[in-house]
Amino acid sequence: MRSRLFNIIVIIVFVIILGVCFYYMYPFQSSIKLGLDLRGGTQIILKPIERGAEQVTSEAIDKAQFIILNRIDSLGISEPLVTRDFNNNIIVQLPGVDDPERAIDVIGKTAQLEFKILQSVDENENPVFGPTLLTGDKLVKAAAGYDSSGRIVVTMSFNDEGAQQFEKITSENVGQRLAIVLDDEMKSAPVIRQAISGGDAVIEGIPTLEEAKDIALVLQTGALPVNLEIQEVQTIGPTLGQDSLQQSILAGIIGFCLIAIFMLALFRGLGLISITGLLFYIVIFWGILAALETPITLPGIAGVVLTIGIAVDANILIFSRIKEEMIKGKSKSASFVEGFRNALKAIIDSNITTLITAAALYRFGTGPIRGFAVTLAIGIIISMFISLIFIRAILFMVVNSRAVTPRFIGVRIPKSSLVDSQGEVVGKK
Amino acid sequence: MVKNKKAAKKLKRKKTQQSILPAAETIKPLTDEKKFEKGKESPLIEIRTVRFDFIGKNKYWIILSTALIIAGIILFFIRGFNFGIDFLGGNLMEVKFKKEVSITELRKLMEETGYGKAILQSTDKDQYIIRTTPINEEQKDSILNKLDEEIGIEKPLVQDREVAAGFSKTITRNALIAVAISVVGILIYVWIRFAVRFAIVAIIELLHDVLIIFSFYIVTFREFNTTTIAVILTILGYSLSDAIVIFDRIREELRVNKRDSFPLIVNYSINKILVRSLSTTATTLFPVIVLLIIGNETLKDFAFGLFIGVLSGTFSSIFIGAPILIAWNNRFPKYKK
Repeated sequence: MRSRLFNIIVIIVFVIILGVCFYYMYPFQSSIKLGLDLRGGTQIILKPIERGAEQVTSEAIDKAQFIILNRIDSLGISEPLVTRDFNNNIIVQLPGVDDPERAIDVIGKTAQLEFKILQSVDENENPVFGPTLLTGDKLVKAAAGYDSSGRIVVTMSFNDEGAQQFEKITSENVGQRLAIVLDDEMKSAPVIRQAISGGDAVIEGIPTLEEAKDIALVLQTGALPVNLEIQEVQTIGPTLGQDSLQQSILAGIIGFCLIAIFMLALFRGLGLISITGLLFYIVIFWGILAALETPITLPGIAGVVLTIGIAVDANILIFSRIKEEMIKGKSKSASFVEGFRNALKAIIDSNITTLITAAALYRFGTGPIRGFAVTLAIGIIISMFISLIFIRAILFMVVNSRAVTPRFIGVRIPKSSLVDSQGEVVGKK
Repeated sequence: MVKNKKAAKKLKRKKTQQSILPAAETIKPLTDEKKFEKGKESPLIEIRTVRFDFIGKNKYWIILSTALIIAGIILFFIRGFNFGIDFLGGNLMEVKFKKEVSITELRKLMEETGYGKAILQSTDKDQYIIRTTPINEEQKDSILNKLDEEIGIEKPLVQDREVAAGFSKTITRNALIAVAISVVGILIYVWIRFAVRFAIVAIIELLHDVLIIFSFYIVTFREFNTTTIAVILTILGYSLSDAIVIFDRIREELRVNKRDSFPLIVNYSINKILVRSLSTTATTLFPVIVLLIIGNETLKDFAFGLFIGVLSGTFSSIFIGAPILIAWNNRFPKYKK
């Protein structure tokens, strides 16, 4: 058994950790980020698809992510989250948004702006274009508004390089029609009357000002380097999410009380230590989730439920071993040391295998499964930490106290029984 | 030695009383050398008491479990899983109406909109889940407008989901890859810490638990969705720690007890771990049962899977894992037969 001083230090360290966790827990209402399934909002999953010869590269998706985030920001949606899963799907989370139509519209627009010469119109009245002469990536500014005759337009300004190209195109093609094509749709095709310098152009033929604003917005934020296909749109109303959350919390509280009663009934005084450990566990778990700012989701709650079970399990393993040793008739301190040693391997082995599962889930899982893996892994590590270090320190602190009797631990050796030297009850007299 | 005789006598009496458990109790000299060294305890006898015989009556348990799985398989071919929209694709709207409405009324209205085949599920007297095949915004609006005119609906919708068909393939594939990798990891770890047979038995237990959960979902026709996958993964973790704890006890017993046969050691180990197993099952199930009682539909679905899985996980480590270990040892003896 390690020295008393060591145990005191361990307990002090734990109290400090608890203090730090309390700091992160405050304010209680908002310290933990909630996933969309618990707080309500919209989640959109988009699958990048290669466009023509262009491959879907990791860089292209990074860029697409950045552009989407910019577009959402411009829509004034607070706390949007744009992430990416193992399959390179882009996941857009919009908390509190319950009518996602406009957001989807804006996010999904590729905003591929091209300037081409309109060569002719075929028999189905489809335009036939020449090669692309200029693209939207040379754009520096786009704005929606009305022109002098009151029509809705989007005005665009090019950078120096774009302006030079634009001047060259217009000067070489005087008399031809210059088609302005947005996402493969011809918006307008004005006739070039003279060379245009200065690098300004206008898109016409837009029905509403709102649409003009959206076009300006997507042009401003740049063209997506990939096409995006919507895989899933999920909107959870605010009531459903809150219901789920409140019921989960209530279930947690009632579950905790039942566990506490159970542990007290089974292990008496040791149960008290275990309840303290469990409270510490909850505080540390909460603190870490708040500090990491990982949003907790419904599957994440499954992970929490499971890890509470695992946390208690470690205590049960240790305490039953201690009881076992005491029934064998060993001294208090010997029972505590032996009980701990015997339970140690089982706890470590079972937790490490579960950690292996969590790691694999984290690496290869998608969205909600990842959230689950994170809570599972955090829970296991905290529970091992508490059971093997904190509870151990407390146990060895109190073991020599006179209050700790076999009865205190819930061991009953009937006096009228025949007990062999190993403490095994072999029968009554 | 007096005590030794006494105990032997005692044992003899017990044996005649309980002939069902022939090999269940033995006397063995204490062989733990460490205890000798300490010299604190006299090297007398240690009695391996076995309260319940888990191995003898094992057949019945395996039959129960197999029957469930077979029922699941049969029903799988008859009607299969009740997959949620995250697997099938389509639209789901959960609507809270301004007044109570019966499912027949709602069905009639849906028929008028041309979506009579939609799946309707009541979550409250005035609240329904409506599931359709993939529809576009206009079609969705036409349904909602009709319902709003006739009954009146609360906005925003409780939930509104749209899933492209085939999207779940990637989720499922990912989950399968994750499970496959963790299975390999577990195999290697348990192999190193225990023995290869323990590793394989652990995997068989996991497989059993997954099949049991599948069967329950098929038989009760509960919705199977991505949350269900998370539940199954949770159970893999639970079942695994349960298996490992028993393996650990067997490993320890094998080390100190060189005299008894392997089946006896397994039986003894399970008896010793029983209180812990049942206690852990109870403590894990407490919050799950509360969720099952007070939770909304989403939470119930999820608590249901956990409930079945935790029970199955505890069951499989005792009634599936142990007998396979014994049968394996009978066929390829590594430990005392």
